[in-house]
Amino acid sequence: MDYQRLFESDISTEAVKAWKAKGKKAVGIICCHVPEELFYAADIMPVRMRATNCVDSSEAQVWMSSFSCSFARGILQYWLEGPYKELDGFVTSDGCMQSSRVYDNAAYINNHDNSGKYVRQIGAPRKISPRSYPFYKAELQSLIEELEALSGNKVTDEKLKAAVKKCNEARELIAKIYELRKEKDPVISGTDCLKLTLSVTNMPIDEYVELLKAFLDDVKNMKPITEHRARLMVIGSGLDDPKYLEVIEEKGGLVVQDALCFGSRGFDTPMEIDDSDVLGSIAKYYLDRLVCPRMMDKHFEMDDYIIDACKNWNVDGILYERLQYCEIWGGEAVYFQNRLKDAGIPILTVEREEQMANAGQLGIRVEAFVEMIEKED
Amino acid sequence: MADVKNLEELVLKGEMSITEFACAKIDGSLERMKEKHPEMLWTMEIQKFMWDNYRDAHKNGKKLVFYGGSVPTELIAAFDCFGFYLDTIPFRLSTNPALTAQYIDEAEKYVAPTMCGLDKTELGAWVSGAYGIKPDIFVYNSVPCDSSRLAYPAMEKMMNVPTFSFDTPFRRDDRGAEYLADQMEDFIVFMEEHTGHKLDWDKLKFYMENSNRNFELQKKCSDLRKNKPCPLPGRLLVLNGTTNAVACYPEMGDLYAAELEAGQMMVDLGIGACPDEKYRVAMLQNMIWGAASIMDWMQMEYNAVAVMDAFGFQGDIMYEHMDDRRDCFKVMGKKMQNNPMIHGASGPSENHLAMVDKIFQDYEPNVSMFLGHVGCKHTWASAKMVSDLVQEKYGLPTLYLDLDCIDGRYKSNDEVKAQIAEYFETVVMK
Repeated sequence: MDYQRLFESDISTEAVKAWKAKGKKAVGIICCHVPEELFYAADIMPVRMRATNCVDSSEAQVWMSSFSCSFARGILQYWLEGPYKELDGFVTSDGCMQSSRVYDNAAYINNHDNSGKYVRQIGAPRKISPRSYPFYKAELQSLIEELEALSGNKVTDEKLKAAVKKCNEARELIAKIYELRKEKDPVISGTDCLKLTLSVTNMPIDEYVELLKAFLDDVKNMKPITEHRARLMVIGSGLDDPKYLEVIEEKGGLVVQDALCFGSRGFDTPMEIDDSDVLGSIAKYYLDRLVCPRMMDKHFEMDDYIIDACKNWNVDGILYERLQYCEIWGGEAVYFQNRLKDAGIPILTVEREEQMANAGQLGIRVEAFVEMIEKED
Repeated sequence: MADVKNLEELVLKGEMSITEFACAKIDGSLERMKEKHPEMLWTMEIQKFMWDNYRDAHKNGKKLVFYGGSVPTELIAAFDCFGFYLDTIPFRLSTNPALTAQYIDEAEKYVAPTMCGLDKTELGAWVSGAYGIKPDIFVYNSVPCDSSRLAYPAMEKMMNVPTFSFDTPFRRDDRGAEYLADQMEDFIVFMEEHTGHKLDWDKLKFYMENSNRNFELQKKCSDLRKNKPCPLPGRLLVLNGTTNAVACYPEMGDLYAAELEAGQMMVDLGIGACPDEKYRVAMLQNMIWGAASIMDWMQMEYNAVAVMDAFGFQGDIMYEHMDDRRDCFKVMGKKMQNNPMIHGASGPSENHLAMVDKIFQDYEPNVSMFLGHVGCKHTWASAKMVSDLVQEKYGLPTLYLDLDCIDGRYKSNDEVKAQIAEYFETVVMK
């Protein structure tokens, strides 16, 4: 089976068009606290929204100002004038305030234009407590009711469990691919791995799972990557542009692990379901999942994850990329700086914009960093 | 009394804490005011009450509770603690740019430069060991913004004292109010454990009654501003922000009572804050804490008075059933969600828009300004919606102007004045 579609990471509308041609709905998702399982259970195609290749977000900038993060602006731009015009709507959580403002502006424009598109925001707590799970579950229940109305399909526990099962398959397969990157000379680069995790947004989960299986079946035929001088982990703001990692890897830094919401963190471990409370299990999974530092009480857990991953993937150094105006990741160093120092893990901090405009400068800095941390065999 | 520059030097050298600095500076201002404007003493007395109590809480036998974001101050007071609202540090220091610069630079060793100057100042001052006082308890909230959500958990770790955090939902509906009311119960358990006191409902009632009185008075002061000419100067709007810190104390009510009396006298005499009011300005974002004198300048130069802002006015959320525990806790939650700064920086923009709409309906401004604090990116991301509303419904253009309300290095007062002047001369007065 040809699995090359896994490496086509530009935003594609083909699958959405095909899905909608069957008379079904396709709805965007912003951030990681809107469970895709709910959409599949309603027979709606969820499309995690991103801003890949958005080189001009001028219309969105008029709405959100230049003081907003370019990733969020890019999503709004694509919603207004781009591939996401195909969608029947989108749902966001208050992942960060920037994603919330994408919602606010889109809802406002929607009302003005009477576009009739479905635009919804759900509340996701920012701390874990016995109070927050029921609150979040109630928010998800309300969302389900709206998705049922939108799709005309009843969401049952059985449908939710089937959706969880399918998404879990993808999570397990992605985990296997990440395991391959522990090898001294892995068969997949960081650039290709990011393409592969991004491509889930371009197709229904069934297709994605089949392609991942085909890829894994073919691993034995792949040639290990031997030309690298240092093993890197990339952490930071939502990164949806594989070209960014390409620049890093061209300079000898092989990316073997990440803490990115479009990478490992967006998949994480499989979800466990308690049959007596299926929606409660989904709520618990999504709140507990370590995705980004938007949770107020998970900063240290994120640090632990990063340090453990560095050990387990034999990482020589961390590249910490932060989007301008991304406060969530932008200040995370206040938590991990000393801990990484104590753990002896070198770190390179780089500012970034969604538009890939500073490749030369990035390359020079990465090259210097790689030179500093590379080890003699 | 040493002059402010000398005091500043002492703070910069680490020989004086920012708390001592603030107290000394307020004492100095009071002394000068006694000589030159004794009738205006009430504007500073609330500052003295606040800062002296921060400094002397332990001496007065009270536990000191540091807090960030909107929290139920009535409960803190009812447990016989004094709350230290951390945002009062950057507010107070913002007129001393050398100090804020030092702490902001310190914070930027760890956080992105784009983080809000309020949080950077609070964080940087703590890292520098400049507070001069230590909390017994720390309480914070998940609002208003991503900056504070980053800064407060970091400060929790650094302070290493018993800490409680509230999680405030984005939307302001009944589910959210119930969620916050549940958290009040958790907070009471926490406070009982760490203060050694049981919640005394009569004490709480006292503070809730104070709170009601204060907001009623605040509302009356705000209503005075509907008069033409507006009797109260724009600068006094800044003091509304103080309610976040001491809304439940009688001293806050005393300030409003004095403001009301002064304002009513002006109305009775038919006098406005401007000698010849021509322009009534609506301020659509935060207050320009570091440059409040710009409002005096607008009054003198253009006969333009800031009649209302979308920051300090809190609305009409009152305790109505003070023996109904659940109802009181839901009101506390609603107050937290509608506190100054929360409306624009957190929660759906529709709340901010509704507030701006109300300002234009009630205060009839004829000039619209969005003097946007650059750290408040979330409010900036609502700016077009807000200015479109003003244009479409009230036919007024809006001046967008970026500034840093805390870090004077971003843009000088003269630059801000020049941009405002240009707007008046090329748009407003044409």
